[in-house]
Amino acid sequence: MNGYGGSVLRVNLSTGQIQKQPTPQDVARDFLGGRGFGIYFLTKEVPPKADPFGQENKMIISSGPFSGLMIPGAGKCDWTTKSPLTGGYASASLGGHFTAELKYAGLDSIILEGISPKPVYLFIDDNQVELRDASHLWGKGSITVEKELKEQYGEEYQIATIGPAGENGVLFAHINHDYGRQAGRGGVGAVLGTKKVKAIVLHGTKSIPVADLPAYRQAGINLFKACKDAEILKEWQSYGTTMVVSWCDEVGALPTRNFTAGSFEDGKNLYGPVMRKTIVVSDKGCFACPSPCGKYSHTRRYNTYVEGPEYETIGMLGSDLGLGNIEDVAQANLLCDDLGIDTISTGGVIAWAMECFERGIFTKKDTDGLELKFGNAQAVFALIEKIARKDGFGALLAEGVKRASQKTGQGSEKFAIHVKGMEQSAYATHNATAMLLAYMTCDVGAHHNRAWAITYDIQVGREKVTTEKVARVIWLQNFRPMFDVLGACRLQWVELSIDRDLYLPALQAITGIPRSWKDLETVGERIWNLTRLYWIREIDGFGREWDLPAPRFYEDAPKTGATAGQITRFEDVQKLLDYYYEQRGWSKNGIPTPETIARLNLEQFVY
Amino acid sequence: MAAILKLFGILKKYIQGADQIMVPANITVRQAITTLHIPPEIVALVVVNGNQQSKEYIIQNDDEIKLLAIMGGGR
Ligand code: SF4
Repeated sequence: MNGYGGSVLRVNLSTGQIQKQPTPQDVARDFLGGRGFGIYFLTKEVPPKADPFGQENKMIISSGPFSGLMIPGAGKCDWTTKSPLTGGYASASLGGHFTAELKYAGLDSIILEGISPKPVYLFIDDNQVELRDASHLWGKGSITVEKELKEQYGEEYQIATIGPAGENGVLFAHINHDYGRQAGRGGVGAVLGTKKVKAIVLHGTKSIPVADLPAYRQAGINLFKACKDAEILKEWQSYGTTMVVSWCDEVGALPTRNFTAGSFEDGKNLYGPVMRKTIVVSDKGCFACPSPCGKYSHTRRYNTYVEGPEYETIGMLGSDLGLGNIEDVAQANLLCDDLGIDTISTGGVIAWAMECFERGIFTKKDTDGLELKFGNAQAVFALIEKIARKDGFGALLAEGVKRASQKTGQGSEKFAIHVKGMEQSAYATHNATAMLLAYMTCDVGAHHNRAWAITYDIQVGREKVTTEKVARVIWLQNFRPMFDVLGACRLQWVELSIDRDLYLPALQAITGIPRSWKDLETVGERIWNLTRLYWIREIDGFGREWDLPAPRFYEDAPKTGATAGQITRFEDVQKLLDYYYEQRGWSKNGIPTPETIARLNLEQFVY
Repeated sequence: MAAILKLFGILKKYIQGADQIMVPANITVRQAITTLHIPPEIVALVVVNGNQQSKEYIIQNDDEIKLLAIMGGGR
């Protein structure tokens, strides 16, 4: 099949059985790859109501038809599983160089099934596939493990690994690769940990078949040329995603002290240029990236090296914790990477605990003696370690902000900032209704990357609640994840603003099948609805209530900063959902109607 | 005493589709933006002689200032 590795690798960890199957053509047609393959296999193969940490859950790692080819940033793969954090759908995207090797080994997906009786790592070198003993790696940090495995096998081997947090089942444990790229959200690392898989080591040498080689080359050149000519390339490369810290601070979108405000009085110490000047050593990019956004940094205060921090981490481990020193943020980032926890959820859960402490809900007796005040960097470092090891007070936070607040009570549920159990990423949405809706309806919980609508809010009027705004969110949700499906980075389109039509000739030349954006957006819509059906299948009573945001965004107007006194009214929150469900073809309770299911060919997935 | 202000993306419409315009020195970037009736919050990035600066930067003689709009995809 042109554009594909050709096989799905199935590894049964319980029995040690390893099988390769041809990638199904009809699935490639309807779901293309990446995230599409993920939700297809998850829905088809993991039985309803499976325990995320049980034998029946699977980890599905998938590339797309662009992955491993000369398309900008074509090094993305998707990690799909049933989320231990939310109990629903988890899908996390990983950059770096892992995915290209996956394709070169002739694979489109790896499906990990069952639970290994002992710690192992999966070793793949072209056709050689083995489970190898990982007892000597168990307990070690992600960065140490990657280094050891690279020393053993060589630089050309690509490695994805979990840290101690994944082994310990921290519900927001992540997967680390390339010393600082992550499949971050939803607890994918915890699923790998309970399966006793410490790492995947990957290397391949096969070519990917392409339908029309000259046309593919030309289409690739056109894409790279557009990136090179982009007006903003130089600035993007200098600052990466930290470019937007100052703008978010200015417009009141920078999460500050558990989202009590959207502007931070020490924010300017965290801005991109400050970071570039004080800690950045060099730029670092993924496979085939013409516009590397990764920043490799060195902290003088701690004498440590880390990839990052990028915007989300600056927001969640910086301003949201009241930390106004970029070196402290970088150090917290490094601890999370090595111990194996998602920086966004970690920041969210620590910010909530700090607010509890400042309100007197927790005292030093509860926090193992930690003075958990906003701005206390040492307490943050200590707590990150405790969370990853589920040690003392850290064990409560290791369950995520939803469960921790339910256990704690005393009104703390009201300022637990999450949707569907996933901690909200780094955009304060007191008065940004499109972004708020994007978080409310995102298919994994409160994550920004399906619909980064905050810029649209500012362009068209942030407080407006209109059908046009809702349509924009839906369009973004259908279109943006296509990059996760195709296996390429979206940032060249999002940030460099290259023309999206340049991707179509490339896709046609690679697969031999002409497809329009309208057709691809239908694939996006099909995937979006299938993920919704998955939530409905897994959670009894799932519906509208699950799409509500944290009360902070309709009850607690910020007292300081650019959005002081501004808040979204609860009736507008409901209105956003009404418009959204109607435009999606869902019932008033947020359930896809039979007509919508039929229109998208999803009948086979309805139970 | 003047500087060059270069506008990109959707900002061009505020100077009738032109690419650049002269602005006086000794005012802040924010003041320059305001005089052109550009809502400051849609300007994501101010780059002066190759370095990102804040909107409070005071424009110097012969500066080359780039203003970039917030992106977020959409073309
Ligand atoms: S823009 Fe950043 S995330 Fe995207 S491919 Fe390049 S380095 Fe990776």
